[in-house]
Amino acid sequence: MKSAIQTFMILFFVAFLMAPLTFSAGELEDTVALKGATVHTAEGPVISDAIILVKEGKIAAVGTDVDIPQGAKVIDCAGKEIIPGLIDEHSHIGAYFDANEFSMPLGPENRAIDGLNFEVPHWYDAMKAGVITVITGPGSGERMGGQSVTIKTWGEDLKKRILKENREAKMAVNARDLSHIPNIRMKLIKALEYKEKWDKYEQGDKKGPTPERDLGLEALVPVLKGEEKLRVHIHFANDMMTFLKLKDEFGFDVTFIHSSEAYKVAPEIAKRNVPVITLPLATRIAISEQLLFGIKKLYEAGVKVALHTDHPVVHQRCLRINAGMVIRYGVPEDAALQMVTINPAKSSKIADRVGSIAVGKDADLVVLDGTWYEPSTRVDMVFVDGLLAYDRMQDDKSATEVD
Amino acid sequence: MFRRRQFTRQLQAVGWVLPAVLSVAALLLALPILQAQDKPVIAIQGGTVLTMAGDAIEGGTVVLWQGKIAAVGKQVSIPDGAQIIDATGKYVMPGIVDAMTYYGIRPFALNDRAKPVTPENKVILAYYPFGKRMHGEKGIVKDQEILSGGVTTVYIAPGDQQVIGGQGAVVKTYGADYQAFTLREPAAIDMCIGDPPKQEPRYIGAKPPLTRMGIATLLRKALVGAQQYGQKLKDYDQKTDEEKEKASPPPRNLGMEAMIKLLNKDIPARIESDFVDDIRTAIRICDEFDIDLVIDSGLGAYKVKDILAEKKIPVVLGPPIHPFVQGGEVSMSPDLYREMDDYSAAKLLKAGVPVALASFGFSFGGFGYATSGRWLLLEAAYLTGFNVSDEEALKMITINAAQILGVDDRVGSLEKGKDADVIILDGYPLHIKTWVDQVFIDGENVYTRRGGAK
Repeated sequence: MKSAIQTFMILFFVAFLMAPLTFSAGELEDTVALKGATVHTAEGPVISDAIILVKEGKIAAVGTDVDIPQGAKVIDCAGKEIIPGLIDEHSHIGAYFDANEFSMPLGPENRAIDGLNFEVPHWYDAMKAGVITVITGPGSGERMGGQSVTIKTWGEDLKKRILKENREAKMAVNARDLSHIPNIRMKLIKALEYKEKWDKYEQGDKKGPTPERDLGLEALVPVLKGEEKLRVHIHFANDMMTFLKLKDEFGFDVTFIHSSEAYKVAPEIAKRNVPVITLPLATRIAISEQLLFGIKKLYEAGVKVALHTDHPVVHQRCLRINAGMVIRYGVPEDAALQMVTINPAKSSKIADRVGSIAVGKDADLVVLDGTWYEPSTRVDMVFVDGLLAYDRMQDDKSATEVD
Repeated sequence: MFRRRQFTRQLQAVGWVLPAVLSVAALLLALPILQAQDKPVIAIQGGTVLTMAGDAIEGGTVVLWQGKIAAVGKQVSIPDGAQIIDATGKYVMPGIVDAMTYYGIRPFALNDRAKPVTPENKVILAYYPFGKRMHGEKGIVKDQEILSGGVTTVYIAPGDQQVIGGQGAVVKTYGADYQAFTLREPAAIDMCIGDPPKQEPRYIGAKPPLTRMGIATLLRKALVGAQQYGQKLKDYDQKTDEEKEKASPPPRNLGMEAMIKLLNKDIPARIESDFVDDIRTAIRICDEFDIDLVIDSGLGAYKVKDILAEKKIPVVLGPPIHPFVQGGEVSMSPDLYREMDDYSAAKLLKAGVPVALASFGFSFGGFGYATSGRWLLLEAAYLTGFNVSDEEALKMITINAAQILGVDDRVGSLEKGKDADVIILDGYPLHIKTWVDQVFIDGENVYTRRGGAK
């Protein structure tokens, strides 16, 4: 009898606990509709008065003719602009004083993830400014600095935030001395030999003695296989020509970082389909007018251009203003948006997940209160994987305090 | 050029040269007028005029005559023979005033690191106003880069790696000669409380300052020294001629002579300080010696906004898009990062603190000017996203800056009688796609945009 009462009590409590759930069954917790905004999808035309339907963290539908399911949470975005979560293709966020292992000038085995500080506020501040996916990596103090991480700036679970943990080798070509290129070339030749050794071993049904592992050379193998890419810190046009010749020799995928003088050799770069990352934030970095107009030249030559902040050189939150700056210097608005969204996504091989507002992609969305590239425009809301990560009116006390 | 007040005082002090000085002064005063008469009369017509001294005037006219603004308004009679510039659809506003730069000074000439206290150093002596060095350009200041941002007046300062760096100056970005482009010199004495002036600590032979205490002590010592030196000068002056013959005058001391100007409130102390604790120290010391204070950079100034407002201490904020403070990236210092607030300008303005926005731009190796004043309009635009009104944002880089620099009788707004420093923009000043089309300094066209994206 006693146990019957206990069972009853338990059942009662369970029912009591479940009550709120049963009452709200009509509301779909994981379905959100953003309604009424002008949507810049980054890959298609601009859609005004659009509806974006987000389901289980992914974009389920986008357009003017979208049925909002019963119970979906509808957010009124009339008068707002929505752009995809921005992508910063080159930065050192979280790395700071752990960015350069100077003692290892050829250290492709170093992994940025092992040196990152996730507790600094910069991650949240980047997200707040609409920068959701970043590639962060080693500095440029070495010829081969190590492997970069592709990661989202916000999320509860660090593991889930990471899109790509390693395998992309970062190099720096500074032409500081003549031995620079021969050193890099020799390392690549060794990696090629290393790859052949392992290929032979694996093709021979692993019968011979196991070759010794070398973490550095191992890191370069996916690059030589064309699975991954090299990221090369490079400024001057002659260095770029040298590296393009290396590319011709080894056939690797490469992205140029900084690329100050890329516009001087734009046709050669376009011919080889090499993406170029460049930095137009002239308000911080003293770059000349020619360099700023150079981005337009690159764009017109058909080079896939991405913009970066090189955080902390330029604060990550400036990425959107970077895009505004290239618009000022003659690049069309839609192309400028692509430079901070789909272009870096494609060149980093993460376009299946991020980079545009398209069905099936991660629901990384930035809601703005005006023209997306104006410095005076504010970010109102940020969604990361469909979750509301930032709401200015809720999270920013000063926004409502001072007016 | 001398400021009027100092000028009179000097006349009293050296009575016997009065006739000579007067005639020279008359010549000096007459010279600009004689020169100005060569300048054409210009009428800028049809644009939206943002005077910074009242409401915007749609379809207004600005008349530039003899290097000055002769008239501003909707109904303005245009003198015969005036050159007419059609600004229909454009914006007309005063030249931009950058209240804090290291413009035109080579990076290694900024700091006298061996000595932490050098009030005798004059930045104007390190100022290079002849365009790009070793680039075959000629003539006095006509740096197209800074003019392309509409900047017509800048404050130039010694670097921030000394406790007392030296005397700053207010100069125009164009002028026929040193006299013509110098608005005020000295305009202030530049100091720094914070990490930059600290010396490398060594166990043997370490020189102060190694700490903030040391910095404050050196500041106090310099001010006490100036008080005592001033007293000695006064004592000597009060002696009769006979006594003077017996006693020798106090030995000249250029540093102390400059510091006395602080104590007389002829010029303010400009103290670069970012941590709110350093700002408090700056206020404490300036209160103690009763001197005028301007806070430079002031990342954490909003935390003491009410004190600043009550004491009317102005703040010259650094660029907000990418703060670069205390000689480094703010992102690299967790302590400084915590001090940063995007709403700082809005909070200070609301409390009633006089605020200017400056570039703190300096020569960057061989490249040019980092965080150059040419981008101040963009920096101001960024602040309008953080509760600063458009009008306030523009005032922060024009009239507010001029007031803080003590040159608002000459520049900072479009008003009759002020210098004809005017810029014409092809669109709304706070939009990123807007370009400065033309720049006039002292009524002379010194920049016209060629090419551009549009």
